[in-house]
Amino acid sequence: MPGSRSWAPALFLSIMGFLVVAFYLLPLLLTVWASFTPIRDWRVESLGKSVGLDNYRRLFYLIRHDPDMGKVLETTVVFVSGTLLVNVVGGFLLAVAAFLLDERVSLGFRLLWLLPRMTPVAVFGLLWYYFFHGNGMFVHFLQALGLLEGPTWIGQDQRFLPWGAWFIIIFVNGLVGVSYGMIIFYSAFKSIPRDIYMAALVDGARLRDIILKIMVPLTRWHIIFVTVWQLLSLLTTYAHLYVLVEWRVVDKWYGMTWSLYVFETAFGSTVSDQALAAAAAVILIVVGIGLGLATLRIMGFERELKPVRGDI
Amino acid sequence: MMRGALSLASRLLGRRGGRLEEAPLTGRGFQAILVLALLAASLPIILSYTLLVELSFSSTLIMSPFQKTQFTLENWRLFLEGKLAPTAARIYSPAYIRSMIVNTLIVAAGVTVVVIAASAPAAYALSRLRFRFRAATLRFLILLHAFPGVALIIGVYAVYVYLYKRLFVGGLLPKEYLLLYSFAYVIVARASLEVPMSTWILKGFFDRVPWEVEWAALVDGASRLRTFWQVMLPLIKPGLAAVAIFAFMAGWEELIYVVVFLPREAPTLASFIHYQLSGGSLEASYLPVVAAAATVYLIPTILFFVFTQKLLLEAAHGGLKA
Repeated sequence: MPGSRSWAPALFLSIMGFLVVAFYLLPLLLTVWASFTPIRDWRVESLGKSVGLDNYRRLFYLIRHDPDMGKVLETTVVFVSGTLLVNVVGGFLLAVAAFLLDERVSLGFRLLWLLPRMTPVAVFGLLWYYFFHGNGMFVHFLQALGLLEGPTWIGQDQRFLPWGAWFIIIFVNGLVGVSYGMIIFYSAFKSIPRDIYMAALVDGARLRDIILKIMVPLTRWHIIFVTVWQLLSLLTTYAHLYVLVEWRVVDKWYGMTWSLYVFETAFGSTVSDQALAAAAAVILIVVGIGLGLATLRIMGFERELKPVRGDI
Repeated sequence: MMRGALSLASRLLGRRGGRLEEAPLTGRGFQAILVLALLAASLPIILSYTLLVELSFSSTLIMSPFQKTQFTLENWRLFLEGKLAPTAARIYSPAYIRSMIVNTLIVAAGVTVVVIAASAPAAYALSRLRFRFRAATLRFLILLHAFPGVALIIGVYAVYVYLYKRLFVGGLLPKEYLLLYSFAYVIVARASLEVPMSTWILKGFFDRVPWEVEWAALVDGASRLRTFWQVMLPLIKPGLAAVAIFAFMAGWEELIYVVVFLPREAPTLASFIHYQLSGGSLEASYLPVVAAAATVYLIPTILFFVFTQKLLLEAAHGGLKA
């Protein structure tokens, strides 16, 4: 490569490079740094002082002794595993259905299921605010089935906690996330040579065999990829949870996962403890980098698989 | 050429070009069962979106799309006049409602511009130029995309506060520029989150442009910059359009950054809806008016949806085809 052109990459990468440094690397360093300082109420001057590992000690003290923190941890585990199951299994089933259907009908359904992903968070939150409203459609539905008497907020009512709140957060985030697996799996099914399906059909294979013996094994890397990527996304997502909690659709603590806890601790109306939030965020960063690296390795196995868009 | 024409013809003709399309693998009866099952599963989605739009035209607070109600434009009138709640403190002006829509547009358009400006040249370099750390940069971008946003926003806000103190408390800039500062910051900060993935998508488009095209330009004496601007960029217009649409939607729908960085006096549609509902304080009688706001907010989403169906399905996982 002639030296005269060596300026070119730097020039072309300059704007992106600046944004990456200013809005990823610097904030990342600052967040990690802040976890060793006494910063509160956004007094950035406090970033010059050090408190050693105090914030981590406080965090682990809370984990051990604060019942609300216990709820956050429980909610994180239930939310992540529950929604992950919905997204991977649900996405797979949707993709199978879409694959088996006539293309025009299939297109309609795939678009319909993409709608939640494309809907602004505030509107999507509003839809489910109405739906799970104390006097909303869902309550009416339960009343019609004779499971419930009188109006109540399922996500807040002590009788139904914690599962009432957990059901709602898994339901809402599942609807957003399930289309991700659907799209990846659908295109994976399409890329399997049609002759294989045809041969199986001619040999008299049943649908169950086609799914279990052709579709699952041939898309196993896609399944692993979607699972790991979704796991990472669900650990870090918080926008939908934020509106559900702030709008009181669900109980504050049984609607709060670890990442929402980080956000609420840093930006909340009652707490403004950035030092503690930063310590909690560092744990998320470590997990995030680990899972991100795992995703990269999987993508190495499956080269044709392109990286992805979407937050959930 | 011929095959392209044929497939285009078959697409235009739909079923009538039937032989070119693949027949479904299963029989009609099974198809019917599948459709019914999928419809049942889709019911919450269908019902909730229907309810939202219906509620905005409804004279009473309905809680399901089947409830009897009368058609009215009253909610829309109230919304457009800024009358959202009974207490005087909450009655806004029509200008306020307009500014809210404009604010949302500013953020969305700003994010689009920043994303394209940052990712198009970077994608070109990553696709076409040879330099050290090229592969590492590509891998690094995926890691960035996967990075927990909530961990970043603390640092991003700390920088915002620091700059605010230097610029405005320190007296470098008069207070009138504060709003401008907030908007600029929220736009660039939010756009940055889209840049890694947009770069990847655009790189895919550049990868598909034949090398010969570029050689021809370079051999003719065009500089890299000129080749990029005059030859390559026009060739990846579909990719630019796709990335621009996604960036616009990302800016349009943003809630968290807007709530964090923009003052309450400068709401977007997202933060407006959020402020109405947060704390569970809104009177139920005004929920239909909020539904009108949300319906307005949903319009671009629906438009993009209708006009970019194929693009959405192909691009949603980055497997874009040029």
